[in-house]
Amino acid sequence: MIFQSIRWRLQLWYGLVFLALLAGFGGTAYDLLRSLQLRHLDGEIQRRMVPLANSLRPPPGGPRFFFPGGELTNSPGPTPGGPRQDGPRMGRGGRRGDQGDQGGRGGDFPGGGPPGGRGFPRPGEPGFQFRLPADQAALFGSESNSFYYVVWGPDGQELARSEAAPHDVPLPVAAEAAPGPPEPRMRGVFREVYHATPGGAVALVGRSIAEELAGLRLLAWELAAAGGVVLLLGLTGGWWVATRAIRPIEDISATAVKIAAGDLSQRISAADTDNELGRLAAVLNSTFARLEAAFAQQQQFTSDAAHELRTPITVMLTQTQTALNRERGAAEYRATVEACQRAAQRMRKLMESLLELARLEAGQETLQRVPFDLSKTVGDCVEFVRPLAETRRLEIHCAVPALPCVGDPERMSQVVTNLLGNALEYNQQFGEVRITGERQSGTVILRVSNSGPGIAAEDLPRIFERFYRADKARSGSGGHTGLGLAISKAIVEAHGGSLEAASQPGAGATFTVRLPGAG
Amino acid sequence: MRILIVEDEPDLLRSLAQALQEEGYAVDTAADGETGLFNAQNYDYDAVVLDVMLPKVDGWEILRRLRKTKKTPVLMLTARDQPRDRVRGLDTGADDYVVKPFDLPELFARLRALIRRSAGRTSNVITAGDVVIDTGARQISRGGQAVALTAREYALVEFLALHQGEVVTRTALYEHLFDENESTLSNLLDVHVSNIRKKLGAEFITTRRGHGYCVGGGG
Repeated sequence: MIFQSIRWRLQLWYGLVFLALLAGFGGTAYDLLRSLQLRHLDGEIQRRMVPLANSLRPPPGGPRFFFPGGELTNSPGPTPGGPRQDGPRMGRGGRRGDQGDQGGRGGDFPGGGPPGGRGFPRPGEPGFQFRLPADQAALFGSESNSFYYVVWGPDGQELARSEAAPHDVPLPVAAEAAPGPPEPRMRGVFREVYHATPGGAVALVGRSIAEELAGLRLLAWELAAAGGVVLLLGLTGGWWVATRAIRPIEDISATAVKIAAGDLSQRISAADTDNELGRLAAVLNSTFARLEAAFAQQQQFTSDAAHELRTPITVMLTQTQTALNRERGAAEYRATVEACQRAAQRMRKLMESLLELARLEAGQETLQRVPFDLSKTVGDCVEFVRPLAETRRLEIHCAVPALPCVGDPERMSQVVTNLLGNALEYNQQFGEVRITGERQSGTVILRVSNSGPGIAAEDLPRIFERFYRADKARSGSGGHTGLGLAISKAIVEAHGGSLEAASQPGAGATFTVRLPGAG
Repeated sequence: MRILIVEDEPDLLRSLAQALQEEGYAVDTAADGETGLFNAQNYDYDAVVLDVMLPKVDGWEILRRLRKTKKTPVLMLTARDQPRDRVRGLDTGADDYVVKPFDLPELFARLRALIRRSAGRTSNVITAGDVVIDTGARQISRGGQAVALTAREYALVEFLALHQGEVVTRTALYEHLFDENESTLSNLLDVHVSNIRKKLGAEFITTRRGHGYCVGGGG
């Protein structure tokens, strides 16, 4: 599934987050603008509510008229009909009917103040007449989008309305129940603020905000369109970023696929190694390199082992095929059988060496752990190889002090014989082999050196490799399997020691065995 | 046909040489690269069987140096069968490549093919007048009748027939039909030629006195 790819998932998450942010931002902006407009409108409406409410004359001692920010509330302001002055007068004016005609005069107050006279009929009472000063009535136009007002008496009967007021303005239900501060409401395209005076009358000022709403709708569409464009741009950018971020991963994956397909030489191109992916690439590359090296070594070993086995098999095949080609004499058959025997013995030796090495390397070979004197083992080995040294006219100098250690004397004798054999084999005529030993702080050291041509510097690190031969042509001849040094090293290491080689070309080679000493 | 075998495994060298001799080839042997290279450079062998892993000078080096002076067909013997080894062998100038262990009949067939190709022939069957030589089966027939020849006689006829129409000198015949241990001073060659004439007709081999022998090509 393509949509399960990291790139698609990144894109999806990114898109969702981006969309949420955009929606939040757009919504907030829209809301802010809308409430700003409404607040402004409410302010306008309330400005018009004040004279209306004042015209409705609150009763004496009742709760004061409260307008947040309204210029007429409680303040001994410029308006002579302010509630503070009104309050006590209204209290006296509580006697109904005594000043009935003054309601009409009230409308002539300069400054828009309500009539402050006493004895006015309260709204809803007979004789009450709602009047609005002319300059304030001018605040309410006759256009469809101008402000309008509607006033109801306590009994719910409409007392007055401006010209532009729609015919179907209902009496606010909540206002009937509880007198209080002005409440704004939306009714269709109308914004209305109603105010229930403590006296029970209800004033409502409103205006059609169809234009504003249309403007806001347009704004919403514009915001949505702009948001869409930004989202698109953002997603494109996100895709680009995701692609860039994913590319190294895809490189790594493509390389890994090639490597999995068998091409171990492939490497991830890591131009910039100083980031997370670069470091991952570097780690993977070094892993691949080690894998390739291990694989190459394994392949080399298999190839070498096959090579070592092929030669004796070839001998047996050609020998027998030649012999069977025609009738032969007994001597010829005998020669053939002998050659086959030699080939078979060589194969057996190779098999045994390979198995021994495999067991040693797998830690399956059980070694004896007995105390023994390595110098005695060396002495035995020297006696064993002396005839070979004599036929080659080589001198063996052996000066080894007692070297007590714990281990497998037979295996160690195998190691020493191998080292001595090599020292004799790779020697010059009339050369010498020198064996020395010493004890150094709990370690037993045995050195076998010769006066041969030495080991070339490029061969030195590899001579302990299986089947590695400094002289390529010594393959198989002379009973060598090419595993001797590898086995010796494995045996010494199984004893917890080490086997090292050093050489100055032309000045012989020295093999150093280090074993943990006894006691 | 004279063949050089360069192989350091004594048992293999011995049995290969014996088998090839019994096939009618003159066989020289070399147990190390140095001798092998020297022989290959100084004699005109019909083919060289060359082991890759050799003491002193290895097979690749022998091949490289030999190719500077000679076009002798070379069949590489190797115990390595990695494709890159084969490619390297063929690219260095080897004409064929046989992986150990091999079957003798296959090795022989490849050698025959090598020699045939180097003589510019594509078929196993050579015709000279009414004499037909099947180099694959190593059989000769005259007028449809099989004729029995000794291995050496067959080798002589095959060599002359491969160089049909050319005059082949006695020296060349000695070089190609007898190995380095056989005396070139003997009249062995005359004896073989005379025997062949008895079997395949006196006119089959023409003698160019002072030059050598010739088969076919209008005498």
